[in-house]
Amino acid sequence: MAIKFDGEFEVQRKLEDVYEFLVDPQRFAPLLPEFEGVSVHDAEHFSVRVRVGISHIKGVADVKMRLAEALRPERARYEGQGSVAGGNVSMIAGFDLSPAGDGTKVAWRGEAQVFGRLTSVAGGLLQPLGKKQIQKLIDSLQAALRASEGIS
Amino acid sequence: MSGSDKTWVGQSLSRKEEDRLLRGRGKFVDDIKLREMLYLRFVRSPYAHAKIVSIDTSAAEKIPGVICTLRGSEIASQTQPFIEIAPDPGGRIRDYPLAVSKVRYQGEPVVAVVAESPAIADDGAEAVLIEYEALDPVVDAEQALTDASILHEEAGTNKVWNGVFEYGDVEQAFRDAASIVEIDRMHFHRFSSTPLENNVVIGQWDPKDDHIHYWCNNSFPSFAIQFLAAHLQVHIDRIRVQTFDIGGSFGIKITSYPQMAVCALASKKAGGRPIKWVETRSEHMISSAHGNERTFRDTRVALDNQGVITAITSRHIDDCGAYPRYEPLGCVIWSQVFPGVYRFKNARIDFTQAVTNKCPVGPNRGYSRMQHLWFLERVVDICAHELGIPADEMRLRNYIRPEEFPYTTPNGCIYDSGNYPKMLEMAKQLIDWDGWKKKQADARKRGRMIGIGIGTTLDSGTNNFGQSQIVNPGAPFSGNSQGANCKLDIYGEVVVAVGSCPQGQGHETTAAQVVADVLNINPDLITVRTGFDTERNVHTGFSGTYASQFAVSGLSAVHGAAQKLKAEMKRLAAFVLACKEEDLEFGSGAQGPEVRSKSNGRSINYWGLANIVNVNSAVLSPELHDVTLNCRYVWRAPFKVPDTKKKYGNLTMTYASQLHIAVVEIDGETCIPKILDYVAVDDCGTVINPRIVEGQVYGATAHGIGAALLENCVYDEVGNMLTSTFSDYLPITPVNMPSVKYGHIATPSPHSYSGAKGMGEGGAAPIHTISAALQDALFDKRIFIQDSFNNPDSLFRALRGETCRAKDLVKVERRA
Repeated sequence: MAIKFDGEFEVQRKLEDVYEFLVDPQRFAPLLPEFEGVSVHDAEHFSVRVRVGISHIKGVADVKMRLAEALRPERARYEGQGSVAGGNVSMIAGFDLSPAGDGTKVAWRGEAQVFGRLTSVAGGLLQPLGKKQIQKLIDSLQAALRASEGIS
Repeated sequence: MSGSDKTWVGQSLSRKEEDRLLRGRGKFVDDIKLREMLYLRFVRSPYAHAKIVSIDTSAAEKIPGVICTLRGSEIASQTQPFIEIAPDPGGRIRDYPLAVSKVRYQGEPVVAVVAESPAIADDGAEAVLIEYEALDPVVDAEQALTDASILHEEAGTNKVWNGVFEYGDVEQAFRDAASIVEIDRMHFHRFSSTPLENNVVIGQWDPKDDHIHYWCNNSFPSFAIQFLAAHLQVHIDRIRVQTFDIGGSFGIKITSYPQMAVCALASKKAGGRPIKWVETRSEHMISSAHGNERTFRDTRVALDNQGVITAITSRHIDDCGAYPRYEPLGCVIWSQVFPGVYRFKNARIDFTQAVTNKCPVGPNRGYSRMQHLWFLERVVDICAHELGIPADEMRLRNYIRPEEFPYTTPNGCIYDSGNYPKMLEMAKQLIDWDGWKKKQADARKRGRMIGIGIGTTLDSGTNNFGQSQIVNPGAPFSGNSQGANCKLDIYGEVVVAVGSCPQGQGHETTAAQVVADVLNINPDLITVRTGFDTERNVHTGFSGTYASQFAVSGLSAVHGAAQKLKAEMKRLAAFVLACKEEDLEFGSGAQGPEVRSKSNGRSINYWGLANIVNVNSAVLSPELHDVTLNCRYVWRAPFKVPDTKKKYGNLTMTYASQLHIAVVEIDGETCIPKILDYVAVDDCGTVINPRIVEGQVYGATAHGIGAALLENCVYDEVGNMLTSTFSDYLPITPVNMPSVKYGHIATPSPHSYSGAKGMGEGGAAPIHTISAALQDALFDKRIFIQDSFNNPDSLFRALRGETCRAKDLVKVERRA
């Protein structure tokens, strides 16, 4: 089951700053909803642990992430794969950055594929839940970037 | 019944099984607890199609109480792949009970975890880590045939089998046609069955003597042991299978042999301890077996100027899921009912089967024939609507006529008996056809969408396994047989054993009725053994319960065994009573069932006869030393091997028929289809037990209505099954079961000793009937019912013009 998402927002931060934020797992990963921990393996690879669940199906997802594309300072794209309760997930998430006045426009898009029991028993809930979680991530990302607007 | 002409056969006796089952005293596999028993859970693939990169079972094996794990590579190293019935390319597929290097459907077992308790096995399964590399999934059979993504590299293609079934002079019929109707695409959906009891297996591989013992609910054990022996590389005599009470199968428990293999191999690894596997409902939905999904393309129908169908051509594409297993038998089994109930002689069906990344299919509720019968009923209704002929009249013009029986079909099947016009007449009477036609006309004026549909269908029973040679000339199967044993035990009790494994069909009762008539005693005096057991040595290679055949194959075997026993009892009684055999009569006396001399008045009861043979044999004269009062009889169907090149021959012994009529209204706002009236008329020849037959008709009707309106196995584009629970997959319940009017006619079969025909599957009549009724309700909107599954959502989309537009799907050429 594919969950597709996209959107854009603007922040009063320099392009480079936003880019640095997005490619730093230690700063980016904690914004994920239900974040539990991150392990950085090297400059391109890290693992994130997040709590996931729908109704009674709950567990911790271990997602291996790779910075698949890093075009400083305008594009960052992640690919991830992991196991969740009763299933697996693969995802692509990309950010295209462009100047917008004094700040930066962040255009984000992605797609998650969920496989397995989770989809089988809760497929109807996944689309709205997935979109809700992604919106949370984007809201957190905006909040984090805006918290330091104008600082650098 | 003693002393009268009445027989026990034909009486509506209560089932002998009912008291036990209704009081909760049935014995099912999960009731069995064995010493040192272990429990098995499967770790299943979340992916529909993926390579297995790595498997790590170390964490699971460290959990206290986990005994061992088992993976596909271990199995592959010590077994042979399961037998493939298909010739190449399907024959090259290598099928193991656990995935070896890749997974091919969501839910495919990859690792088995064995533990001291079910809960520990669950924990162990959760701790197994498997890394996959996803591959492109194929979830549509037509897409699969492009071979863009191949499931089985060793086969080199997703095509399992292809064959053309052509009879008569098709081209001439089309040249002579007054009208030609073309239908672009129709689709028979995928659904499963939802027996109350899921699959359960206990397997034990005894290391002391290398014997394997199964306690299970497989519904075709004699087939299963043939596959298991070859796979496990053990002598077939070392495999014992026992079944007990079974809570429904509907065919799909035939294909539980892969799980049976895993239980045996796990037991072997666990030092010979018995292993129990109890399937969960979700496991059952995603990975037991589904019914065949079939797409009908490029259908052309030639008709004369009276609306009589003279020829049909079509391409049929069957989706068998990830592994063929019992397939490609479905590629030929449909041809048992090649023309349905109709008289057309010219036809060409190009039949192809493909694998897809979905649950493997298995025999299910009218296996393979229901798809074809639905296709034919749609063809008849669409032609009737397009040519302006009423649906009932269209059928009367095309039905095989009563005087034509026994009727040889274009492909050589011999329909034994039937009277379809009479069934139609009875059904119309029961439902008040004329009354509903008036109500329908009035309702339509007020904008209501009410349709009246007819479904005429066949339940072919006791099949000729020689049809397997049509799909694979090298297949070693032909004919059909069933075994039974009838004995007087040491204390004179009549005990019957049959090679069937009933799942609610009342075999204990009907077998007792047959034996009671032979021996002229009350059926209550007869014990019929429950379930199947290889060590009773009753079974043949076709023994089991499937394909509507017990009334013919099972009861013929029982009848034969009872006749043999009676003959032995006569010889013995004539010796003891000092009279001629012709002087003897059977009945009951003061000391129970007995044989008595009509001339000298002497008698001996069953205990006396059994005593002489078993524990007092010195009194026997030498010429009676062959009398055992323990008589096995094997009934063999008088089939010949079909002509495999012409695909011609008799494929089935009996053809029960069903005619259903439904009145269905589609709610204009919610699009919910509601059954307003329903009638089911059945003809299964001579009826052994009317109560059981009526119950089976209701059951089959419920199943068919469920399949038509509620049950659908839905997969998303990457092969996730979206209907794996009863929240999404809706089995029919009494809440949505309409009241059904029941009628019955009997055209006795000349092909069975009793005139009975196999029945129970019901030919999926409601699916055809409801499609026809919905079509009738929507015809004036030029909506064409092209799918066998129709729920409010699909009807809503059709009414919005998004799907099912007749102008896109049906063309009519009128020449005369």
